[in-house]
This record gives sequence, structure tokens and C-alpha cells, in this order.
Amino acid sequence: MTQDPTDTRNDPERPPFASATIAALRGLVAGGAAGPGTRGVMPMGIHAIDMRLAPGGLGLGQLHEIAPENAGDEPAALGFALALVARRLARIEGEALLVTARGHPRPYGQGLAGLGLDPGRVLLFEVDGDRDAFRAVEEALRATGLAAVAGFLDAGLPLAQSRRLHLAAERTDLLLLMLRSSAVESPNVAATRWRIAAGKALRDRFGCIERPCWQVRLERSRNGRIGDWLLEWDHAAHRFGLAGALAGHAAEADADRRRAGRS
Amino acid sequence: MQTAGVQGVPDTGPMVVAAMEANGLRLTSVDATASALGLSPGEPLARARARIGTPIAVHPSDPEADAAALVRLCLWAKRYTPTIAAFGPAEGRDGVFLDVQGASHLFGTEADLVADLSLRLAVGGLPARIALADTPGCAFALARHGGGGIVTPGCNAEALRCISVAALRLDPALAQSLARLGLRRIGHLMDASRAALARRFGESLVLRLDQALGLRPEPLVPLDEPHDICATRGFLEPIGRQETIVATATRLMEELTPQLEATGLGARALRLTLTRVDGCVRTLDLAVSVPTRCARQVGRLLDLRLDRLGSALDAGFGFETVSLAVVSTGPMSERQITLVEGPAEVEGPGCLVDALRQRIGPHPLRSHALASHLPERAEAVLPWKPVIGRHIGVSTPEAGPSAKSLSSGTGSPLDPIRVTASRLPPRPLVLLRRGEAVEDVIALVPDGPPQRFRWRRRLHRIIHADGPERIADEWWRGSAPVRDYYVVEDEAGRRLWVYREGPFTLQKPVQWFVHGLFA
Repeated sequence: MTQDPTDTRNDPERPPFASATIAALRGLVAGGAAGPGTRGVMPMGIHAIDMRLAPGGLGLGQLHEIAPENAGDEPAALGFALALVARRLARIEGEALLVTARGHPRPYGQGLAGLGLDPGRVLLFEVDGDRDAFRAVEEALRATGLAAVAGFLDAGLPLAQSRRLHLAAERTDLLLLMLRSSAVESPNVAATRWRIAAGKALRDRFGCIERPCWQVRLERSRNGRIGDWLLEWDHAAHRFGLAGALAGHAAEADADRRRAGRS
Repeated sequence: MQTAGVQGVPDTGPMVVAAMEANGLRLTSVDATASALGLSPGEPLARARARIGTPIAVHPSDPEADAAALVRLCLWAKRYTPTIAAFGPAEGRDGVFLDVQGASHLFGTEADLVADLSLRLAVGGLPARIALADTPGCAFALARHGGGGIVTPGCNAEALRCISVAALRLDPALAQSLARLGLRRIGHLMDASRAALARRFGESLVLRLDQALGLRPEPLVPLDEPHDICATRGFLEPIGRQETIVATATRLMEELTPQLEATGLGARALRLTLTRVDGCVRTLDLAVSVPTRCARQVGRLLDLRLDRLGSALDAGFGFETVSLAVVSTGPMSERQITLVEGPAEVEGPGCLVDALRQRIGPHPLRSHALASHLPERAEAVLPWKPVIGRHIGVSTPEAGPSAKSLSSGTGSPLDPIRVTASRLPPRPLVLLRRGEAVEDVIALVPDGPPQRFRWRRRLHRIIHADGPERIADEWWRGSAPVRDYYVVEDEAGRRLWVYREGPFTLQKPVQWFVHGLFA
């Protein structure tokens, strides 16, 4: 969408104003489509995943939905959401707001630190129910000085509420995550939907648990493709890693490669 | 209180205060001598004179002087607590409510406070009867119709049971009709069916009863002191719409800004007073976490508050006077206005915190580390407070943003937790409030980690266990048994933090608990 300086040099016959006019027109077109094009992106840091997300990573100022795969996977989903928040906070200054509906467990400070998230940069906000949680998240989208907002809901993410949040988020460059329960499915306008299940943790060389690991399924990706992976989280480097290829899932990795070769 | 206007007149005979009413002079209050002679307020003065032979000293009633004296008493009582409310028309305008919640410990105990108060009032020549209870209604009933004294928390109902129904601040006609039906004591009302009471005597009776018992809130209207920084606007045509109120308040805040700027202060707490056409006054208190002079911010916070209030504001026929006062101020650092547009300065979450409090209610929290090795005592989750100079830390090129925000932390006991997770033994992402016992535990060796257990009706087959990490109780607190923690992973990959209470012995069956969940 940017002006190409080589344009006039390659074509001397063309009147000089043409390129300028075209550039101006292009600028207009780009300006009209502005919103999504100029917005930031938080790459996941794994090529295989970023490729499947339309903007090349998690779009900032877009709504991302995270759900546990089954009942019992809630801590895994919470961990994945907080890992994303930690990744965002590691890159820019600012704070994160976690809105938890009552009944949802409050993250433990030292556990947050264990995921690489500095509790000193996290604001916790506990509300009575989902209704207040949506209002709090909407309010947070107007604030300055925030880098990420995550809402932990008791129930699902309904269409009307998701649309409100989507519209409110459009003007910002915040990372907006909504974590909902696995029980309530409802259509909504989230840009991506992630399903998280617990995975066997990565072991160190002594056979002890070293890093958390999650089975991540990208179930919906607007303008992108879906997929599923086994992701590990490195809290010190704030980096995800593909665990499948390394940690004894050679067969799966092989199948992946074969599939990739065929297509 | 009744005689506040005529204090200092030396007289030995009976003394009364009389006011002109529809059909002649009537007594409004009487002193102790007159009371002993059988005079009571409400009696016509002529009849009183005719009834008793002795001459009576009569003073004209002066309600304004009474009110002023009551306000003086309220101001004096500020030595005990900041929240003071004078008795309103329902209580007879002759006493004072003190909200001593959180202030009584400054005088020792509640009993000490009451003793001090009654001593000082007695020295000042004011005979007073003092009652202290959970609710204003109960305290009023005990002070005016009971024996006074202190009611232990939660015992309102017993204290009120034997007191006359007139103590509930009812309409005299209503009290009379209750008495006619034999409902003389508050206990009778408590035993009667509420629905029937409400149907027969109206909502006000149930409301007063509930307020006395603490089932419904009764907010006190605290004494309003004049504020230095205050702006008022009157309207010929009353206003009632939310946008108009917000716009007016914003305009008023703009008027106050120069005064604040001149003193180098910012507003920390504001009070908006709305006077309705019928004289009813509504006050809205706004507090901000960081001192401000920004009219737009104040307007927005007020807008959020009004949103939350909704119809509870009850504009009625509209408000004719709006006034905004700065109740409390704080120093505000000067800020350089940039000439050239540069990167915007990162603001703290103060504005967001205020907005969330106004719009939704609860206070945002922040986790702080405490110096304890016990997981449940190692964290304090406290309401967020602005840290002065938090963002002044000097960042070195190699320090990332997280290091920068931490570098200015001072050595207070409540430091934010440092990111030193790799040094710590693993801690769960979710810590349960207390350990939850598990059932059907099978362990491979008696003192080893469990192989299988049932928790929250789900069976966990453990394939891996890290540990143990032994955590003993703090020796200076007590002697809870030591806990051996294991990080266990079940076959689905769910990681739990489980502990065994006490060392393994043959005498006692081992008890396992789940204390946390890992991501």
C-alpha cells in the first residue's frame, strides 16, 4: 500500500502526476480500509501458527476467545490465556487487567510469576457475574496505559456482547482475550477461538516437570486457517515452542510432514 | 438539647419553651422541674398555667437557634468520628447520630468512648442518654425509649423486643392505632406476619422495623461542612436529564480548576449536591485515586455513577441547584506541556481504577508478596493504590520494560513479587482457599506420592510426581503438622499440587489434600 519510488523511473513516458495521483488514490483506499490494516499484531512466535492467523499473529484490538476443551481443563486454558498476556507484557510497557467473574478462581500471585507474568503489572478485578465482567472489559478498552485485557467468564460469550466488545476494541491496540467455560457454546464474532486441553508437561533431563504444555486447537480463525498443536511455554523467554516434534510425538510429526509434502 | 436556646438563665422554678400554633401557645419542651410537675410537650400553655399554681418561666421557641446549636454539637462531636448526622424531623431534631465504626478503637473500647462522651457532655451541662447499636434505628430506640447502653453486635432483635413501638420513629397516628390493637412492644411486631403488617399499616412500618433490625440499610446523611473550593449553579428551569447534570458538573469543575491550580492542588474527593425542586437534597460523592483537575474526567466519572444509579437518583420534577465541592485535595505534580508531539506518556491505571469503581463498584486488586514460606500466607491481595514515583525508574538499555517498572520499587514490606520463578519451587497458578481432602487414595509405597485418588468426583490416575517439598508451619504461630507437597500429573496431563498432612506413621491413616492447580 505504500508508494513505490521506482514507479516513475521505470516508465518515463508516463506524466509525472500520474504516479502521484495513483499514490494519493491508493492512500485514500488504504485510509478507507484503515482500521484492520494499520492495527498491530502479536505474533505467536511459531511460524506454523502465525501462518494460519490472517494478520500473521494474534490481531490486537480484536476479540479472541479461549475455551477449555473439556470440563477439568480450565487451569490449562487459564494458563494459556495468561501466557499470552505475559507474552504481550514482555514486549511493551503497560499493565494488564484480569477481570474475573465470581466463581472463577483468582490466579495466585506466585503462580503468575511462575508463568513469567509480573504480578506487579497485573490488576485483578473481581465482579459479581458475567454482566459486570463484560462492562468492566468494555470500560478497560477505553483506558490508556493498558497493554492487555483478559476476561474470565462464568458462562459463554454471547453474540451481542461479543459484538459490543469487538466494536469497542477496534479503536485500541490492546490484546483482548475472553476465557469462557466449556459448557456454553454460542456463536459470536471473535476473530479466533482456541480450545485448550492439558498436555503432558515437558520434562527436564532429570525427568522432572519443567515447562507447562497444552494441546492447543485453533478452532476458528477469521480469514485464516485452523489447526492444532502441542505447545509448550517458556516463562523466562516468554516464548511458545512446538513440543510435538521434540517430545516423543515423532509419529505425529512425521504424519504432519507427509501431509505437508502432499499438499 | 431542647433547652439549648435558653441555657445559662438561672432559674429555679419550672421552665418551658412555647411556640405559637394554630390555636394558641403550646409547650414544645419542658425542663426537669416542669416535667416533675406533670407538664409535657404539646400541652396548651394556658391549661398548664391553670393546672399548676407556681409561676412558670416561659421562653419563646426559636427553631433556628436550636438547629444552630445542634450543628455546633455535631461539629464538637467530630472529635469522635468524622461521620456525624443530626437527628432529622422523624427523630425530633434533638439529638445526634455518631457512626463510630472503625473509630472506637482510638478511645480504647466502645464502652470507653461512650463513657468519655457522656462525661464530656455532662461537664458541658448537657444531660445525655447514649446508646450504641448496630443500626441507627436501634440506637435511637434505646436512647429515647430504652435505657441506653451498648448492644453487642448482632443482638438488635433481643434489645428491641421489650421497647415500645413508638421508638421506631413512626407517625404518632400510626403508633396510636398500633397501641389500640395491642401491638405495644416491638417484639409484638417482630412476631406478627410481615405481609399482614404491610397490608394493614403500610410499607413505612415494615421499613422502620427493618431499619431498626438492620435488614434494610439506613444511610446517614452526614453533616455537611462548608468547603473552601465550591461552585454552585442555579437554574430557573429545573434540570433532570443525566446529560445536563453531567454537563453542568463538568462546567462547574472547569470553574474550580483555576482555584486548584493556584494552590498547586488536585481534587481527591468531590461532592456533587443536587437540590430538587421540592427541597430534597441528593449528594453524590466521587473519589479519585490520583489527584486531578481534569473536568472531563470528573464529568465522565459522574456519568458512570449516574448510569449505575439509574432511576435510583429520582429526579422527580427536576433539580434547581447543582453544586460541586472539592471535599479533599492532594498535591499534584506539575507536568511539562510538550510543544512537539512525542510519544504519549504512559499513565498509570488510576483513571481506569476510578472508572471501574464508579461504574461497577468493587475495587481493583493487586497481588503483593509477603515474607512467608507458607503458600497461603505468601500473598496479600490488596486494593490497588497509586505508587508515587513508580514510573521514575531509570531504564538501562539491557533492562526490559518489566525490569524498568520494577526498578523503582522501594524496600517496603509489600513489594510486588519479583519474577524469580526459576529460583522458587513450583507454585500453582490457582491456589485453593484451603486444602481439599481427596478420597480413595492408593499409593505404591506407604509414604510415597499417591498413584490414584478421587477429587471433586473425578478419578485422577497419577503418572508422574515431583517432590516432596516439605513445608512446616511457622513456629511462632502454632504447630500445625508439616505438609509434604508433590506436583502430580495425571494421565490427561492435568497437574495438581497435593500434600500429605503430617509425616507418615503407622498409627494414623495418611490424609491427602489438593491445594492448587497448575496451568
